[in-house]
Amino acid sequence: MRDPYEILGVASTASTDDIQKAYRKLAKRLHPDLNPGNPEAEEKFKEVAQAYDLVGDAEKRRRFDNGEIDAAGAERPRQNYYRDYATSERDHPYTDDSGFADFMDSGDAFAELLRRSAQAQANRRGHDLEFRLPIEFIESIAGANRRLTLSDGSTLDVAIPPGIVEGQVLRLRGKGAPGSGKGRPGDALIEVEIKPDRSFTREGDDIYLELPVTLTEAVLGARIKVPTPTAVVTMTVPKGSNTGTTLRLRGKGAPKHAGGYGDQFVKLKVLLPKEPDPELEAFVSGWESGKTYNPREEMVP
Amino acid sequence: MKISKEEFLSLAGMDHETLDVWIEEEWLRPRGSSVELSFSNIDIARARLIHQLKVDLGVNDEGVGVILNLVDQLYGLRRTLMELRQTIRTAPEPD
Repeated sequence: MRDPYEILGVASTASTDDIQKAYRKLAKRLHPDLNPGNPEAEEKFKEVAQAYDLVGDAEKRRRFDNGEIDAAGAERPRQNYYRDYATSERDHPYTDDSGFADFMDSGDAFAELLRRSAQAQANRRGHDLEFRLPIEFIESIAGANRRLTLSDGSTLDVAIPPGIVEGQVLRLRGKGAPGSGKGRPGDALIEVEIKPDRSFTREGDDIYLELPVTLTEAVLGARIKVPTPTAVVTMTVPKGSNTGTTLRLRGKGAPKHAGGYGDQFVKLKVLLPKEPDPELEAFVSGWESGKTYNPREEMVP
Repeated sequence: MKISKEEFLSLAGMDHETLDVWIEEEWLRPRGSSVELSFSNIDIARARLIHQLKVDLGVNDEGVGVILNLVDQLYGLRRTLMELRQTIRTAPEPD
């Protein structure tokens, strides 16, 4: 930010009164609500207001003059000005059409155009209403029915189709704000937010799961039960499996948009017993090839 | 969005007495009944504008009323102009 005194157009020795006067003069000319069509005024007003925030306050000014604080950091979040509401909403309590009522009454083409426009607006379609709906991962795969309670107490039933993805927007026709006159109501737009799952992740139509197996299951192979988002299935762990071995459960993934299902990939993770096991220790110490196999062979020392 | 009187006072940083005066002056025209006033975002933005007019710009009470009246007419005009632009854009091309 530039020097606040320079922005306000006063000397750095100016009195508090002079600074206030300079600020008021600029603010009267630049206030965004008094200059609705002039984006440059808003930029300038922001700068002027920031400058005044800093040197219009005796304590802050003293600290600024002593170099304890600088002009940066005085950034203010953009304020929602009155104009942001006054022109975007039609039926607010401050609507005033008297500024051009006389134009409407004349018989020329312009008045006709104004009347037609007013008529079109009078039968305008209602606004779309936007909502965010957080759902569980499982629900995103299996589908679900959810009921949303709106701020006005009414409810909205949402059928979540199976296989929905993060950020997908469901459109409920006619469930938005009512239209004016003969205008149709708007739509309700529901953006789905999928909560992360502790076990499952999804890539495209495929689902990934890391599954712990015992040393025995990995070495000797086994038939084990595996959860999918919608059921529990039985899977064969082949003999000699290892941590990182990935097995595919065909057709157990997310429903595809075009029909059919993706796959579920199960990545094994061999887990030793939590407690030290004397029998296992005795076995491993007598296990010769366990001492010669070096899994870090290819690593740079 | 509907905002209750208490919420409004806290969001707009106002006290009861000031609000009563501003409503009396018709600077603010909240909806709802006299038993239960109902505010919306536009009322908050308008209260902020009034506050800035009075405190930052040093406008006196008579001036505030005049400015609000003109501002409302200006915004009515701007909105109509925008609607007009929309009507002209969406109107079928003349043959």
